[in-house]
Amino acid sequence: MNGLIIALAQTSSQGQSGAALAFSYIFYIFFIALLALSFFPGVQQKTQIMFLSRDVEQKLQMIEGYLKDSRGLTEKLLKEKGFADPKAFVERIIDRFVIDPVSVEPTDIINRMKLLMRSNEDTVREMITAVNPNIDPMTRSQIEISTEVVNALNLIYKVIRHYLIMAKKLNSIMIMYQLQMVAPIYVKYAEAYAKAQKVFLQGIPIGDGLGPLVASRFLMKADQKFTVSKDTIAGSIEFEGRKVVVVKAEGPMATVGTPGEGVQNVIEREGGRVSRIITVDAALKLEGEETGSVAEGMGVAMGDPGPEKIAIERVAVKYGIPIDAVIVKMSMEEAITEMRKEVYQAADKAIEYVKRIILERTKPGSTVVVVGVGNTAGIAQ
Amino acid sequence: MAISVDSKQNLKVKTLIKCMQCDYTQERDFQVGDFVLKLVGNCPKDNGPLYIAGIYAEAVTSKK
Ligand SMILES: [Zn+2]
Repeated sequence: MNGLIIALAQTSSQGQSGAALAFSYIFYIFFIALLALSFFPGVQQKTQIMFLSRDVEQKLQMIEGYLKDSRGLTEKLLKEKGFADPKAFVERIIDRFVIDPVSVEPTDIINRMKLLMRSNEDTVREMITAVNPNIDPMTRSQIEISTEVVNALNLIYKVIRHYLIMAKKLNSIMIMYQLQMVAPIYVKYAEAYAKAQKVFLQGIPIGDGLGPLVASRFLMKADQKFTVSKDTIAGSIEFEGRKVVVVKAEGPMATVGTPGEGVQNVIEREGGRVSRIITVDAALKLEGEETGSVAEGMGVAMGDPGPEKIAIERVAVKYGIPIDAVIVKMSMEEAITEMRKEVYQAADKAIEYVKRIILERTKPGSTVVVVGVGNTAGIAQ
Repeated sequence: MAISVDSKQNLKVKTLIKCMQCDYTQERDFQVGDFVLKLVGNCPKDNGPLYIAGIYAEAVTSKK
């Protein structure tokens, strides 16, 4: 190898002198060395890992930035609301987790899951009210949402960091490639979560509030509203000779309520004599689909891990009630940040869909249950 | 995964106020404390109750 370099250098030194000669020596040596180096096994891969990991590190920093922002906002909110030690509170909540119920024994998973999820929510709520017993429900819901956002961002940050460190330790280009592929998506998620928190803290309705918005339009005309399950409210109106019972989460607090249990209780209260259940919800659009486009179909329109959705399915099966779904499409980001005007305008269209379903598929004198599924932040009833 | 790349647009949040009795409507900037169906005074036309019918974000189109 050395012989080759010197030989080449010598052939090029004919008729040159001084600085130019020194320069061409250095140039050749550098060039050939680089060429030779790139043939050593592993060098190429090393440089590639270096570039990839720099890219992922940069993405990780962005996620960390969102996490810090969100943490700061949460601590500020807690401080304003009379929490003596906001840092300690956030510290305690940031790593909270819920363990999935055992699924190798598939009896009753839903009930166990519901118990775990419900008691987790209740525990966080109690942790807040323990510090400030006179907290208003609006602020409490904002703190609950903030802790959820901090929790989610913390998880994203830690998981990406975990794989980055692992890929570096194992020197694995395959893990690095995969990480580099998914990191931008998680940056987007983190950005959307951080934005969502700011929107919630101002009390602005989010895109997912479409369902509650539709329900509130019906409930405006109801003279009596009653609580049907935790954080969930219902009222009945008359429409073209039908009794329409409308269910939504109780606003304007930032909550999704328990619409499944609410519907179940309403139907049991009616003695099962319900001829139709209509669920209205925001749904994720595919790229290329228009925000605010409306579609109808069958089944429970609800983005729930299980317990609420199955409650409606079970009560529907028990009494043989068909379930209609009306959805309004939007992107993930549009669903968890400020409600877009297109979505607001789609509410009218969704109401027309619901009214048409009632007129076409039920007879006068029957009872219909309409559920507006989604987060009701900034939307009262 | 449904994540769109349109997050760079500027949004302005508006509050739409309507009268319960006539067709009076008014759009103004969102203020903290606003929520949908909140009662916000009386109608200048027929003194009917005014309520917030919607709160939504519009993309700001910069005219330059
Ligand atoms: Zn008026």
